[in-house]
Amino acid sequence: MLIESETMIENSESIAMTTKFKVVGEAVRRIRTTGVMRQRTFLSKYALLLVWIVMALFFYLSMPGKFGQWATVQSIFGSQEVLVFLGISALTTLSVGEFDLSIASIMGISATMIPVLAGLDHVNIVLACVLAILASLACGLLNAFFVVKVGVSSLIVTLGTGTFLIGVAMWISDSSSVAVTNVAFSKVALYSILGLPVSFYYGLVLVGAFAYVSLWTPIGRHMLFVGSNREVARLAGIQVDRVRVGSYLVASVIAGLGGLLLVSTTGGFNASGAPNYLLPALAAVFLGSAVVQPGRFNPIGTLIGIYFLETGILGLELFGYSGWVQDAFYGAGLVVSVAIASVVRKTVSKG
Amino acid sequence: MGEGRRILPRLEVHNLAKSFGSTQVLRDVSIVVQPGEIHGLVGENGSGKSTLVKLLTGYHTCEKSASISVDGNQLAVPVHWQQAHAAGISVVHQDLGLIDDLSVAENIGVGGYRTRGLFRTIDWRRQKEVAASALERLASSIDPMANVGSLSASERAEVAVARALRDHKLGTGLIILDESTRSLSRDELIRFYDMLNEVVNQGTSVLLVSHSLEEVLTQTHKVTLLRDGCLVGSGLSSSELTEREVVQLMLGKEVRALSIRSQTARQDAVVTVSGLSIGNIKDIHFSAGRGEVVGITGLPGSGFERLPYLLSGAQKATSGMIQINRETVDLSKTSVSRCLRAGIALVPERRELDGLAFELSMRENFSLPTLRSRGRWWFVSKRWQEEDLERMTSDLGIRPPNSSLLIKQLSGGNQQKVLMAKWLSVGPKLLILHEPTQAVDVGAKQDILRQIHKVADTGVCVLVVSTDVMDLASVCDRVLVFSGAGHLSEIETRSGDEILEMIYAGARAV
Repeated sequence: MLIESETMIENSESIAMTTKFKVVGEAVRRIRTTGVMRQRTFLSKYALLLVWIVMALFFYLSMPGKFGQWATVQSIFGSQEVLVFLGISALTTLSVGEFDLSIASIMGISATMIPVLAGLDHVNIVLACVLAILASLACGLLNAFFVVKVGVSSLIVTLGTGTFLIGVAMWISDSSSVAVTNVAFSKVALYSILGLPVSFYYGLVLVGAFAYVSLWTPIGRHMLFVGSNREVARLAGIQVDRVRVGSYLVASVIAGLGGLLLVSTTGGFNASGAPNYLLPALAAVFLGSAVVQPGRFNPIGTLIGIYFLETGILGLELFGYSGWVQDAFYGAGLVVSVAIASVVRKTVSKG
Repeated sequence: MGEGRRILPRLEVHNLAKSFGSTQVLRDVSIVVQPGEIHGLVGENGSGKSTLVKLLTGYHTCEKSASISVDGNQLAVPVHWQQAHAAGISVVHQDLGLIDDLSVAENIGVGGYRTRGLFRTIDWRRQKEVAASALERLASSIDPMANVGSLSASERAEVAVARALRDHKLGTGLIILDESTRSLSRDELIRFYDMLNEVVNQGTSVLLVSHSLEEVLTQTHKVTLLRDGCLVGSGLSSSELTEREVVQLMLGKEVRALSIRSQTARQDAVVTVSGLSIGNIKDIHFSAGRGEVVGITGLPGSGFERLPYLLSGAQKATSGMIQINRETVDLSKTSVSRCLRAGIALVPERRELDGLAFELSMRENFSLPTLRSRGRWWFVSKRWQEEDLERMTSDLGIRPPNSSLLIKQLSGGNQQKVLMAKWLSVGPKLLILHEPTQAVDVGAKQDILRQIHKVADTGVCVLVVSTDVMDLASVCDRVLVFSGAGHLSEIETRSGDEILEMIYAGARAV
């Protein structure tokens, strides 16, 4: 089926813009004034935010006692820092047009190494953290080597390295849970500011930094073009491969930091749980591309996506559904979010 | 047409029209092909030839006003590809669409394998028969079990034609050859047309789309000409036409009004290219002065199209140097960013693939090459981007002047202007334009050509690499023609016809 979505702007002298679009056989013609257009864009830009508020309101009204507590707010905003880090990690590669399915495993390597080194081998905790981040960087290098240098599809490479790294993490932890008890270390993530753990603010800083880089610096704009059209980027003198390698390295370091926060928060880790973090992170990034800058992967959208998904899950759990809700909501969330994002993208490009 | 009614035409098309968005690419086109006729379809790039083919095969949907009939049977419009196929229309595309690893029989069978039994397995015995009978109609001696990869260029073309004939009864059907003879050498062409005449004599018709006017005039019976989406010659008899007449019809007789630049005396060279070689390009030398507009042209496919990319570092040459002012760049080792720093900017041909990111906005695309020089590594302000773009927008007449529009929302001509603005913004010393007026409407074309003069007047050396001889004749101070032998020769002329003659003369010399 042919869908005609090319929208050409009439370059006649008339000021009014006539936008013509056809959606699957149905042709609609409208003349819009800019004011109406702006409202519409605003609505399509922040539709997800609206849905989030409606959802929270619904939960609040149906169980004001349970959902209306400060503890609920705390558990929505205070428990997602690992996903925020993983989401931004996924965003780093996705925005240059690459896939990295190994970020959860890299996080797992980091989260396994710290307790193994510090807890079992009694290495200094700071050194353990540094080694864990270096190991994460090495994983990123491995990905970059195969994807950029050798030229294998990023989906294949990172699917492989992701599984491989889980195996390695299981091996170094003897396939069991590993723990580290260090009060100072757990303060790194759990120190409370205004009722929320400091790790929540780390997430905000990371998102803010990413947003700044992508919007206001040359490197961010170069990443945008590498992700949008590689040949255009190359012909503009951008070192495309360097940008791609860089994004893999940055993504893996951010994932490693996520692992560090995870251990700091929970005090231990079981490597077999690492894969569970991948899908929620990806779901949030895709969901986020429907908001703030519709049609683009963007950090603030990702953040909104994460808290949106968590609100939904927590609400449903408070209703009494537990266990299966998480998987079902994340899985459905991923598909629905990509569907929404593609619909939003189409309408925005027509506006 | 009165007496033609007795034999129903193989293909009869009237009122065919198509527009993409607000750009009308075909208007009121009609074409009549008789049974057993080879009918040529010619026109410039962007004249609507390929759109016409795509409308006939249902790839694009045509407007409802059209009437299309095959052998007197009206087809429902817009055409659906299955319907077109059933009526007997099949296409041989430019790349022939063959898979080298498979046998001739398998290639001929693709898309219509004969199956048998409950599990609908492919019936290879019947498949081989189908292939053999299709080849037989071409009087071809190709072994159906041979690997396509082992065949010569003309044999491959035969296989592609055999596939197009596969489902048509003897003496029926219309085969559209869409630039499919491009890769054939002169000898192979003769063989190919012997074979094609075999089929045509049985009553099958052929619609030949080709850039080679010589081929069209010698091999076809009738010719239909398109210019800017309009019919300029309908079913003209090929034997009564000359190449020159066809070119004049194709390009339009009126010489486009572009004021001739006063400055014609060549100043001392600021750009010197020496010893540039790779593949077909053999040891090219030329130089150009400050503020000079130099055109480079040649036969499509002869290799001169690579020059813009070689000179700007986008592709590496085997050897060659370019000197700009006093800076020398080794073209066999260079990179795009190295050439950019030397002051070389390239406006590539393929807007959508190499030129602009269609999903991003006008401002983002425009400011990409200047981000590093204008911004700081830690901060890029939007102010100068908006201001610079605003100036360019009014200079070039980009409409609508809304910097946040996505590139894909602009018309082709405005996209081309944004692309040009993007590269003008780096303040190049040498601006290389590849097919700058391809697939843009007449008005935008004039804006672009005028801008080229304006840029040159500020002292920039401009290189226009194009096959559009009329544009070259009107915009360039000097034109260099790439000969088949791999060299450039200079001609001083202001006539598109003469440039065209040079191009063909150069090609024949080989």
